[in-house]
Amino acid sequence: MVQSRSDDPGADGPERTRGDRTLWRKLTILAQDPNVTCKGQPIWSTVELPCEPLEPGPCGARIKVVDYDATQDRFYHPLPKGKYECNCEPVDPFVKASTRERLGNPNFHQQNAYAIAMRILSRFETALGRRVNFGFHGHQLHIAPHAFAEANAYYSRDSRSLCFGYFPGDDDQLVFTCLSHDVVAHETTHALLDGLRPRYIDPSSPDQAGFHEGFSDIVALLSVLSDARIVEAALASEDVMAEGRKLIARKHLRPDSLKKSVLLGLAKSMGDKGPGGSIKALRQSAELKPDPALLETDVEFSKPHRRGEILVAAILNAFIKVWTDRILGLGEIRKGYLDAKRVIDAGATSASHLLTISIRALDYAPPTDLHFGDYLSALLTADRETVPDDSYGYRSILRECFAAWGIKPSSAPNGDGCWLAFGAPIDYGNIRFDSLQRDPDEAFRFIWQNAHAFNLAGDAYTQVTGVRPIARVAPDGLVVRETVVDFIQILALRSDELARLGLSKPPEMPEFREVRLYGGAVLVLDEYGRLKFSIGNDVRNVERQQRRLDHLARSGFFDYPSEAAFSRGFFSRLHLDRARAL
Amino acid sequence: MSLPRSIRIRMYQVGFGDCFLLTFDYSPRPMRHVLIDFGSMAYPKGAAPRLLERIAGNIAETVKGDPFAIVATHRHADHIAGFDPGTNGTGPGAIIAALKPRFVVQPWTEDKDLPTDATGPAKRAMALRRAALEDLHKIAAHVVDVAVPRLRRRPALRQYAAELDFLGKDNIKNLRAVENLMTMAPNDYVHAGRTTRLTRFLPGIRVHVLGPPTLDQHDQVRRQRARDADNFWHLYAKSLALASGTTARQADSLFADSPSSTGRGAPPWARWMVRAMQREKAESLLELVRILDNAMNNTSLILLFECGKQKLLFPGDAQIENWEYALNTPRISKHLDDITLYKVGHHGSLNATPMPLWKRWFPDGINGAGAAQRMVSLLSTMEGKHGNSSSGTEVPRRKLVSALKSKTSLRSTEALNDRPFHDEIITVSSGQ
Repeated sequence: MVQSRSDDPGADGPERTRGDRTLWRKLTILAQDPNVTCKGQPIWSTVELPCEPLEPGPCGARIKVVDYDATQDRFYHPLPKGKYECNCEPVDPFVKASTRERLGNPNFHQQNAYAIAMRILSRFETALGRRVNFGFHGHQLHIAPHAFAEANAYYSRDSRSLCFGYFPGDDDQLVFTCLSHDVVAHETTHALLDGLRPRYIDPSSPDQAGFHEGFSDIVALLSVLSDARIVEAALASEDVMAEGRKLIARKHLRPDSLKKSVLLGLAKSMGDKGPGGSIKALRQSAELKPDPALLETDVEFSKPHRRGEILVAAILNAFIKVWTDRILGLGEIRKGYLDAKRVIDAGATSASHLLTISIRALDYAPPTDLHFGDYLSALLTADRETVPDDSYGYRSILRECFAAWGIKPSSAPNGDGCWLAFGAPIDYGNIRFDSLQRDPDEAFRFIWQNAHAFNLAGDAYTQVTGVRPIARVAPDGLVVRETVVDFIQILALRSDELARLGLSKPPEMPEFREVRLYGGAVLVLDEYGRLKFSIGNDVRNVERQQRRLDHLARSGFFDYPSEAAFSRGFFSRLHLDRARAL
Repeated sequence: MSLPRSIRIRMYQVGFGDCFLLTFDYSPRPMRHVLIDFGSMAYPKGAAPRLLERIAGNIAETVKGDPFAIVATHRHADHIAGFDPGTNGTGPGAIIAALKPRFVVQPWTEDKDLPTDATGPAKRAMALRRAALEDLHKIAAHVVDVAVPRLRRRPALRQYAAELDFLGKDNIKNLRAVENLMTMAPNDYVHAGRTTRLTRFLPGIRVHVLGPPTLDQHDQVRRQRARDADNFWHLYAKSLALASGTTARQADSLFADSPSSTGRGAPPWARWMVRAMQREKAESLLELVRILDNAMNNTSLILLFECGKQKLLFPGDAQIENWEYALNTPRISKHLDDITLYKVGHHGSLNATPMPLWKRWFPDGINGAGAAQRMVSLLSTMEGKHGNSSSGTEVPRRKLVSALKSKTSLRSTEALNDRPFHDEIITVSSGQ
């Protein structure tokens, strides 16, 4: 049986109302940004979001927009309370507004940023099958749509916010980064990833440094490409459709042709929006020739933003391959020509599915010291657990596209690439599964009780960082229930103590300097509370820790007085470096 | 003409800046002099009034009518402020110009004859780089004129003002000094691998230009990235112009018809965010200006004077991106071995003495034990002016100073006390 994959929240299935209450809200957004046009007009889209009471901002339970411009010391007033409701029914205040009224009104900019951020949050929650926390104390992520007159946009953990700048473009027209779907999606993803995996901004390895940026690009770009109107606009911009865009020639649907028309076409039409945009990664995905040795041999790709682009290239190449495979199954309308709408829908669907898989993989990725091979194993495992029957070949395509860049699964490279099931005996005595599903202390007891099985370092600090019951709907309609428990181990050692673990002190590391070694794992429990996987890193793994120490030394880590000083301004610096690309 | 008998390197006490006068003794023929940089951003405590004029006077006394040439490694004020002739033509730059230098050596980025509408991809890219330098100046001017006064008015943000002010002023265009350098003598614009007029000027000495590279000397990928970087500065300069009121398109008229208020007038639920955004903006600007400072440093000349077995390395303020080309190009990097005198890059910041360079000289790294080598290091610097130790950006870096002390014979202006300069004499034996 061929299973269909459906991921978009609210697309079909979920109830529309409960009693007399509407459960979904529709809001108008820009499908990409004002530069991307169809017949000379920006492409508008309507997103469906979970309906919630909105305070002025708009401000909901998870996203709070505060439109303050620090450059001009100007606070733009939001729409008053009630503008998003009428007779207890959700209202889209800009549904009837003209393009000019929308683009020239800060209230629309506020709505656009709120709705796109909510859409990404919603995609994460749907993919993961649970609510998602942020990486800071507090429940609401702040958004400043016009934070400052600068060509910059970034997530800041310290100020719990997404800051979007604005600047004059090449033609002196102002570019508002808050109007770009990919920029808002990219920054929101940084915030969500930071909540799910807070230790991924720690100095660790070139892969981990590149992952934040690469993953945020993947979510942003797949989110854009999962909108059929954007796929259509990209194809139209390259003039590959015939008969009033109703047909498309099969010769234009080969992988190389689609990369050129859709990926490069979209990159061209998006224009460069400065830091925070995903355009460079998009362009590189189409232009970079796969090379299995590149990550290991080219020093250029040891830089975070460049390394992240390889991850994006692997996923977007998988997207093109999945899409072309789906197209193979479509019949021809006339000799050599296919129905353009079906081709476009197949593309948007492929992007949507890969987006879900990419997000879902985070629950199967180690909490510290991530390598791209770990993420590939996480992708494969996450998908296999929910969709055992891989009729469309997503998993083999992912493996093939990652292998083209020399990335092999960390687990079972000769098998299916998925994480291996946990094999050691586990003591479940005195553990209450009901508590284990939600109580960090009970989870800690479980880990403590099985310290030997988990190969814990007794002298390391151990902390449970998350206990999350999840419920995912599989393509067959059945619910897959799991509990995901994250814990970390931290071992702080002085340079003279490294030898105790069999580690060598890098020459750059000063005498008596303390360094923190990280380990930990994600424990995935099935619906009966039995352990399925333990995915992580042993804090005493000499080979991994030595590799990390050597990388820290090479990247100047020991020139800084502390880990905090090294990591300060991580996202802002990441984006500035990327925009300068040096 | 034979080899010089000796070379004297006079390191002047300019506080936070560089000023080195190299005197080549060709007796009985006249001596020849090369002035490498002349600038300061902060005078040492208790400095005499009109310090730069006094130093210019000493240079004039030393040079007298001897053949004389100038090297200006890059545009930062701490390297060229002394070339400012002043508004009435009595400044230190006028004294230097009166010495009638034979030529002025500068990096290719200073070439004024490169038209901004140059044709051909390579020329266009070079013109773009020159335009980017002008953008850097504009951004620095914005920081000093607009951002710093605003930050000083907000008590919670004053902590950012001092560093921004220092970096901003160092990067502001010193128009009079730049023009003086352009007009006082013929210019010799050079890049990595290029022959400089210094080689003919200094008989018996080979002068190698190790940096900066041109855009074409980067590989294809990095060349594109360098162009992206130049565009980035252009974008940023335009953005900041919105805030300083120097553009027709004013930010505060973006949404003229929409109700708004100042941050102080924001409702209670927004005030936390107002303060957070003000702090974010200050931090973002500081991060940007640090990058800008490095970008300017990366236009710096890297010169090597080779005289027999003596090898004197003067890298200005070159940072890692500038060094990369020299270090990764074997025909250039081979010159970096067996250095006998090293002018410590960028006043002792760690980034200007890249680890691959250090390891060529001291393979056991910066922390390794080891006996003092014959290398002499000259450090012109001043503590407490650039960066801070809490963020690991202080100049000079304590760690580097400690390594220089243990592995080289370190001469630092900080140890000069009241003396106006340090003379390092290098004897060139006839057997070399």
